[in-house]
Amino acid sequence: MKSTGTVNIVPSITGVVDAEAGRDMQLSREEMLRYSRHLLIPEVGMTGQKKLKAAKVLIIGAGGLGSPAGMYLAAAGVGTIGLVDFDVVDVTNLQRQLLHSTDDIGRSKLDSARETLAGINPHIAIETYEERLTSKNALNIFAGYDVIVDGTDNFPTRYLVNDACVLLGKPNVYGSILRFDGQVSVFDARRGPCYRCLYPAPPPPGLVPSCAEGGVLGILPGIIGTLQALEVLKLILGEGEPLIGRFILFDALKFAFRELKLRKDPACPVCGQAPTIHELIDYEQFCGVKSPLAAEAIDEQTEITVEQLKMRIDRGDNLCVLDVREPHEYDIANIGAQLIPLSELPKRFHEIDSSKEIIVHCKVGSRSARAAEFLRKKGFQKVKNLVGGIDAWSERIDARVPHY
Amino acid sequence: MIRVVLPYHLRTLAQSDAEVQIAVAGAVTICSVLDALETHYPMLRGTIRDHVTQQRRPFLRFFACGEDFSLESSDIELPPKIVSGEEPFLIIGAIAGG
Repeated sequence: MKSTGTVNIVPSITGVVDAEAGRDMQLSREEMLRYSRHLLIPEVGMTGQKKLKAAKVLIIGAGGLGSPAGMYLAAAGVGTIGLVDFDVVDVTNLQRQLLHSTDDIGRSKLDSARETLAGINPHIAIETYEERLTSKNALNIFAGYDVIVDGTDNFPTRYLVNDACVLLGKPNVYGSILRFDGQVSVFDARRGPCYRCLYPAPPPPGLVPSCAEGGVLGILPGIIGTLQALEVLKLILGEGEPLIGRFILFDALKFAFRELKLRKDPACPVCGQAPTIHELIDYEQFCGVKSPLAAEAIDEQTEITVEQLKMRIDRGDNLCVLDVREPHEYDIANIGAQLIPLSELPKRFHEIDSSKEIIVHCKVGSRSARAAEFLRKKGFQKVKNLVGGIDAWSERIDARVPHY
Repeated sequence: MIRVVLPYHLRTLAQSDAEVQIAVAGAVTICSVLDALETHYPMLRGTIRDHVTQQRRPFLRFFACGEDFSLESSDIELPPKIVSGEEPFLIIGAIAGG
């Protein structure tokens, strides 16, 4: 053997699917033809394709990330694909969520997704869970799957998915996106760090915008969701080097991928040496956000609905309506409010007439909640946050205000 | 000059590009880089480190040359490639979009 000066010891990786389950699978002639380009690759071959057929993959969210992940996994022949979502298809989804098309607007996302995936590959089973993922149902749903794909759009569900995966000992193929930035990793607490090792606590509500607030380039989830599908396939096949303990950052504007090393946190509350979390918790409370059910109730002292604001404007109340969105958002849609972006508020709050009652709004109500809190700390006595923001105004008060 | 890459929400706050360049006097450590960053962008005070404890916010991580420096002492010297500006010091933030 020729010496190269270094010896690499690579741990053997077994797939997440039981080898016997894969051996028991049979491929029909039609399936062999369909997967022929896979069968030609030694790393997949008949053995690997049977493993794919035996595999069960659960995708959380049939949205931007879930679309390419689901479509590629279906095409690749993953035998059972589960989908969790409770939403309906909205026109604003179509710029990136390729599971759904224009004719699907208003339909259940899962009905639309099932149709698309079955159209791509009729040889697979598609299981749908049309419900909100919660601490009550997550472990039961996850239990029947080999790999979980995190394609959600909020922090409480990301912590819920992580903890459920750690407690059940399942790999969590993670992806997240915002604007031009993407993040990908495989969190498998049995072999590396989990999501909580990386981010033990979420950002305060409203600090980091969602795609609905901050926007996202439509192609970005196509890239990140496809990378998640790639990692799922590698985990099932037991081939290659999975992204366990590795964190990928993608900057679409620079077209730059960066790989960062992650370490398991010995003090991690769920996968560390002395874990303190042994069951699923209340993730809305953990992330400081209102539960979806409580969100409908408003705090009369600090919040106001769009209907109440309309009524007060109509009766001529002495109000200062403050818009804390960015100027480019104001150009898209506005209700004639005074514009001071949240980022400029610390320098410009003295421009606000403190003798009036102040109603702060943004797009959906998160940034304005932070702005209202800031103004109260600066001594403004009467400040209320407009619940639902200009989106709610457009939807419930004045349809001429564009919804974006 | 030290290159620092900021997460999206801090870029908005600092009204800066994704990457900023700052001069750091003396030893280049996590602490001295963040001090210089906050001097140049005072609006970032309290956003990366807690106002009182000066501890890193738990939804942010620090990376240099591919390695995680988040749990290191803030007085540890950063790698030569960070000091020379060949590689940026990364402040990574949690995002949740999907």
